[in-house]
Amino acid sequence: MITLSYQGKNTFLEAVNKKSGADVLECYQCGKCVSTCPVSNFMDFPPREIMQMIKLGLKEETQMANSMWFCLTCSACSGRCPREIDIPAVMEAVRHIAIEENYHSDNKQVKNIRKFHEIFLDMIKRYGRNYELRMMAEFNIRTRNLFKDMHLAPKALLKGKIPLGVKSMKSAKAIRKMYEMADKLEKQNK
Amino acid sequence: MARVGVFVCFCGANIADFVDVPTVVEEAKKIREVKFAIDYKYMCSDPGQQMIRDAIVQHRLTSIVVAACSPRMHEKTFRKALSDAGMNPYLLEVANIREHSSWVHQKDKKAATDKAGDLVRMAVAKSIANEQLHEISVPVTKRALVIGGGIAGIQAALDIADARIPVTLVERSPSIGGRMAQLDETFPTLDCSQCILTPKMVDVASHPYIELIPYSEVIELDGFVGNYKAKIRKKASYVNFKSCTGCGACWQKCPVKVPNEYNMGIDKRKAIYTPFPQAVPNKPVIDAEHCTYLLKGKCGICAKVCEKGSIDYTMQDEIIEREIGAVVVATGYGMWDAKPYEEYGVGRYKDIINSLEFERMVSSNGPTGGVPMRPSDGKIPKTVVFIKCVGSRDKAKGIEFCSKICCMYTAKHAILLHHKVHDSRAYIFYMDIRAAGKGYEEFVNRAQVETGAVYLRGRVSKIYQKGDKLMVRGEDAQIGQEVEVEADLVVLATAVIPDKGNPALARLLGISYDKYGYLSEAHPKLRPVETAKAGIFLAGCTQAPKDIPETVAQASACAAKVCGLFAGDTMKKDPMVSTVSREFCSGCQNCVKVCPYQAIVTEDIPLGHGSKEMRTVAKINEGVCQGCGSCVAICRSMAINLAGFTDPQIINEIVAI
Repeated sequence: MITLSYQGKNTFLEAVNKKSGADVLECYQCGKCVSTCPVSNFMDFPPREIMQMIKLGLKEETQMANSMWFCLTCSACSGRCPREIDIPAVMEAVRHIAIEENYHSDNKQVKNIRKFHEIFLDMIKRYGRNYELRMMAEFNIRTRNLFKDMHLAPKALLKGKIPLGVKSMKSAKAIRKMYEMADKLEKQNK
Repeated sequence: MARVGVFVCFCGANIADFVDVPTVVEEAKKIREVKFAIDYKYMCSDPGQQMIRDAIVQHRLTSIVVAACSPRMHEKTFRKALSDAGMNPYLLEVANIREHSSWVHQKDKKAATDKAGDLVRMAVAKSIANEQLHEISVPVTKRALVIGGGIAGIQAALDIADARIPVTLVERSPSIGGRMAQLDETFPTLDCSQCILTPKMVDVASHPYIELIPYSEVIELDGFVGNYKAKIRKKASYVNFKSCTGCGACWQKCPVKVPNEYNMGIDKRKAIYTPFPQAVPNKPVIDAEHCTYLLKGKCGICAKVCEKGSIDYTMQDEIIEREIGAVVVATGYGMWDAKPYEEYGVGRYKDIINSLEFERMVSSNGPTGGVPMRPSDGKIPKTVVFIKCVGSRDKAKGIEFCSKICCMYTAKHAILLHHKVHDSRAYIFYMDIRAAGKGYEEFVNRAQVETGAVYLRGRVSKIYQKGDKLMVRGEDAQIGQEVEVEADLVVLATAVIPDKGNPALARLLGISYDKYGYLSEAHPKLRPVETAKAGIFLAGCTQAPKDIPETVAQASACAAKVCGLFAGDTMKKDPMVSTVSREFCSGCQNCVKVCPYQAIVTEDIPLGHGSKEMRTVAKINEGVCQGCGSCVAICRSMAINLAGFTDPQIINEIVAI
């Protein structure tokens, strides 16, 4: 049972709208996003329900959902949305709020996805691009699943699908600078 | 020797699927008098009618039988085909082999075909005895009566009067304006109801062709289309409108307080009152049920303070008679009482109100000055729950229909609430959002996006009190979870129901009404403003729930119908009327008693040629007679015959089967 009591402004809705640049209130619950989404079957609340929960200001419930972590940002939903809502942006906004305000789901898959994101960003920061072999190794170590997908490695290596090293990049420095600036901005905003 | 032509219609598949049409044609050809018989796919179409016209000329036919659908549908069409071919149109007979055979005997094709053959045989036999008849012209009284002075009545009256046809507008309450005068702003444009309505009200009062009779009711209607006689009871107002200036001294001093109907009983009015400041006419009336002087003979303060001496406690109800040609019924609607919703605690909790009460609260001329307030403690509500479909679409409560306007006015209320209380939030429990209308969907979106009204799909299961809040429990089907809203105020969009007086009025006017009490139109699609009784028309919510644009459109449609009716000096009328054979009439006067139209009177004629002794016989007024045949059935000396249904015709039919 969800109890809706007076809360003045719907701060959660406003935060999501501000971060995403979309207007969740535009949603009229047609469900086209749900039937379009390739991963909505795996979500505990499909995009339409997430929209309604944001409208109702159900912050806890929304943040504990796995939906925004499962979202592939493929934009199939927003491409078909009759109300022109940028749904992936909304999902991203919810993810950001989860990270900023330290919402942690117990769901193992969500934990893994979050780790994946962290490692990926770390790779970009270090090398300016993705170092795939290291990324895979680090992901397997951090998720304590050392031999995950290992059987694919020999074939992929032989075919040259996974380069052993990482090529240096001219703009790596500039990318590092971007990270620094982003950090700075974040601290300022706090 | 009669020469009959028989034309059998397939009606597409309607008849042909269950009746073997060629067999019927063959059967018809066997009848001696039938000189020509043919079938066709659609006899009512132009080629079909041409077949009839051609056959009349080629085969020198003397009467025509069309075996097709109900004569209600196409009798006029075929009659016109006959007169186009130079034949008297009343020599036509229609055998109804669709409604009377193919549609009702779909399981047995042979029986259906046999019955169709019988029907054709009867029609042929009857048609042999058909006589040439001629339309009757009756004079028309060019004055319209409009019952109800809401927006529907106002619009109809103005449109008719603008065509320079006199109108008598009868309104039950002391002022015209109706429900629309109670509204604050109107969807989907949010223009103020008063601003668009009051100029029209003033126009009604000042129009040279409109006679406004407020505070009165129609109590009798006699006659027939073009020639009605109406009796109107003008209730005693106890105020002389001619000398009264409407200064207001009387109602300021009146000590009696009565719940104010205009404000849905939220505040009080006096026993002498005008319903609202913009009332037309802006003269007070005394409410005889509550006035101390009229009840007990004491008080009389209003008479003392009136400088003009306009108060007259001896005034009596007055009966006004008017001769009129057409009637527009526009009695409007009422709000359903939600008491049967016990699970909502209607009546137990003060902070549950209906939409019209909320409308009065947010109205700038309302009892709270335009600010919504909780009836229990006068606090301004922050969380307001609106519940739609209260009563409507609820079979268990006996109201299966959709009230049509609630979706829109609830969206409007959400917007108005946001305008009046900026930090408030509206939660709207709904089943569907029905916003079909110009600019309506956009308006609902505006409520959702601009004001952040939260729409929850589901019916509320119960409401209970917790502290000073009302807990509203329902399901949000969008997320499949039960929700409970802590509300300060609950507004019920209760069903729109017809005026309580509708059944009685319908009986008085001789028109029909449906199981809910809405007055019935003649045809749901093609004759939506006419009633089954000629010359009586319907406008607005008296026929079905409607919003303002639709009501105005229907009222204007009524006006067009009335103007059409009054276009000539006389009206054509079917010649199917009764005639009396004076030779056989015994003067028993049973026919006078059974005639539902008061069309039969008596006259005295000489007993014999040149005799001075007199005897009484019946006399029929052709203009009034509707051809129902009651007098024919009751006449024991068989002196009365109905043209088009004479005794020889009926006997021929019986002999044919």
